[in-house]
Amino acid sequence: MTDVAAGSLRRRRSRSRRTAFLLVLPGAAVLAALFLLPIAQLIAGSFSDHAGALVHYRRILAVPVYLLVLGRTVVISAITAAICLVLGFPVAYRLVHAGPRGKAAILLCVFLSFWTNLLIRAFSWMVLLNPNGIVSHLFGAMGMPGGSVKLVYNLTGVLIGQTQILLPYMILPLAAVMSRLDDAYVKAARSLGASPFRAFTAVYLPLVRTGTLAGCVLVFTLSLGSFVVPALLGGPRDMFLAQLIEFNINQTLNLGFASALSTVLLATTLLLYWIGDHWFGLGQVWGGR
Amino acid sequence: MTSRSMDGKSVPTRRTVLASGLAMGATLAMPAIVRAADQEIVFATWGGSWADAMQKAWFDPFQTKTGIAVKTVSGNTYGKIEAMVKAGRTEWDVVETLPDFQWIGAEKGLLAPIDFSVVNKSLIMQGADMVTPYSVPQVLFSEVLTYNTKFKPPPQGWADLFDTAKFPGMRALDGGDIQDALEGALLADGVAPSALYPLDVDRALKKLSALRDSIQFFDTNAQGEQFLMDGQCTLGVLPDGRALNVRANGGPVDLQYNATITTWSTMVIPKGAPHLAAAQQFLAFALTPEAQAAIAQAYTYGPVVPKAFDLISPERAKILSGGPQMQGKAVLRNEKWWSENLSAANEKFNAWKLG
Repeated sequence: MTDVAAGSLRRRRSRSRRTAFLLVLPGAAVLAALFLLPIAQLIAGSFSDHAGALVHYRRILAVPVYLLVLGRTVVISAITAAICLVLGFPVAYRLVHAGPRGKAAILLCVFLSFWTNLLIRAFSWMVLLNPNGIVSHLFGAMGMPGGSVKLVYNLTGVLIGQTQILLPYMILPLAAVMSRLDDAYVKAARSLGASPFRAFTAVYLPLVRTGTLAGCVLVFTLSLGSFVVPALLGGPRDMFLAQLIEFNINQTLNLGFASALSTVLLATTLLLYWIGDHWFGLGQVWGGR
Repeated sequence: MTSRSMDGKSVPTRRTVLASGLAMGATLAMPAIVRAADQEIVFATWGGSWADAMQKAWFDPFQTKTGIAVKTVSGNTYGKIEAMVKAGRTEWDVVETLPDFQWIGAEKGLLAPIDFSVVNKSLIMQGADMVTPYSVPQVLFSEVLTYNTKFKPPPQGWADLFDTAKFPGMRALDGGDIQDALEGALLADGVAPSALYPLDVDRALKKLSALRDSIQFFDTNAQGEQFLMDGQCTLGVLPDGRALNVRANGGPVDLQYNATITTWSTMVIPKGAPHLAAAQQFLAFALTPEAQAAIAQAYTYGPVVPKAFDLISPERAKILSGGPQMQGKAVLRNEKWWSENLSAANEKFNAWKLG
């Protein structure tokens, strides 16, 4: 290759990089103005109280309620992500491997619930799951004494509601990754004598790992900010931090403290993401590695 | 999860949003000469059927009388008032709020003083803090012990809310607005109404602990209504309008006015309101006995002007807050105490819930 050719290639590359930069610019500007700036203001607001910069954070550390609720938020969100994975994986698999009609039927089911208003879904669960509701009667008819299993206004209710609402966020990224996968890999494994189970665990699962991780990250982080479902379907112990944030905004107009709680939730989310990236290579979800 | 309204009745539905869109379209289509009222004030409301009732009982007659039109907007949250006033772009002239905001708002410098040379406060009922330099009361409402009619004889008062042997079943209590639960617990524990405040939160929570496994908390009043409607809960504390609504819809419930806590909603003028004088005029109008009687006919809230009862039928009066059925029984909530202590009490309450 001559120097001239190498130079022109370099120029072309730098030009395409400049084009890419210009293309990203509007999106980046919108993000900066509408997302980064408000978050910076929020964080700044949490440190600016006339009683001292750290007064809100001291309260969060001193009163056990806040960290306890944060812990419950994280734990319930993690369980939700796990349940969504177990339930969503087969659905995504079926979706990818079904014929056009089956695909349409599955997508319709996924999106119908996706498009239904969150409050309506929560209230519907209340109707279905309450001790006098259909599900309890069904259990009763199957021989289980009515009311022996409490399905709502406790952790069970929260998990049922959260799972239903967040399941599409698991199914769709999983299906996206699965659909890009070449069936030949699994077939090759089978032809080499692997049992179906072994072909699945040793070949298929590692290949759809990015979809699994993306689904889990989406469901988990979306769940961290929930407050409608835990408020409506949960029991007294199933408080999410977002509910306490809402209380401080709407009932006491203590925006500084609400900002501090939001900052803690944001920091926790980032910290958990960092840990996840470090241990499980979450970054590859975005094609980073 | 809800923006706070006095009884949560007024969550804007898709229908009301649609309707307001249609109304807006109609306004735009009207010839300019019809549209141009002498003046217009903007009233920020809780929306829904409550705003419709005010339209009929207050806004239309006010416009007929003074030529001043009242335009309503919903989404009257505290945060929005603060944002507006701090940005120096106040768009609202009158806002209905819960009473705690008459202190929160005044302390944060968000409110304009009421002009009591225009607004006649002499007719307003006696009661601590009903009127402040920055607010006037709007209507009365109550939290009332509501019970399943299968109980015969029915529960007689606060103590029976805690008597699960005599009155078995779950109790529906508001888990978001914690005032009722704490006040009810202390009154059931034998605290005299006159000694209720300052509220002994620890004692109230101790009393509630005995009931812990029988409490089913609701987060919105619609949920609370449902709990009593379908019998999931056999007793509960609901806003009176909500309990009456369950009964009117055929729910097996009745109200025990021996256990009643009455409070009120307020009207304030945000600082920098564009039509200050007209706003003061509106407040004066809304506090006349005639206007108070009209709103009490249109909705199940009681008048804050006792003379209005002279204009209300006895049939109607006996279901309204401040009516004869509550006389000598209702405890007036100390809203000033709550405005100063809600945050701390809520922290304790949440700790109790988790424990």
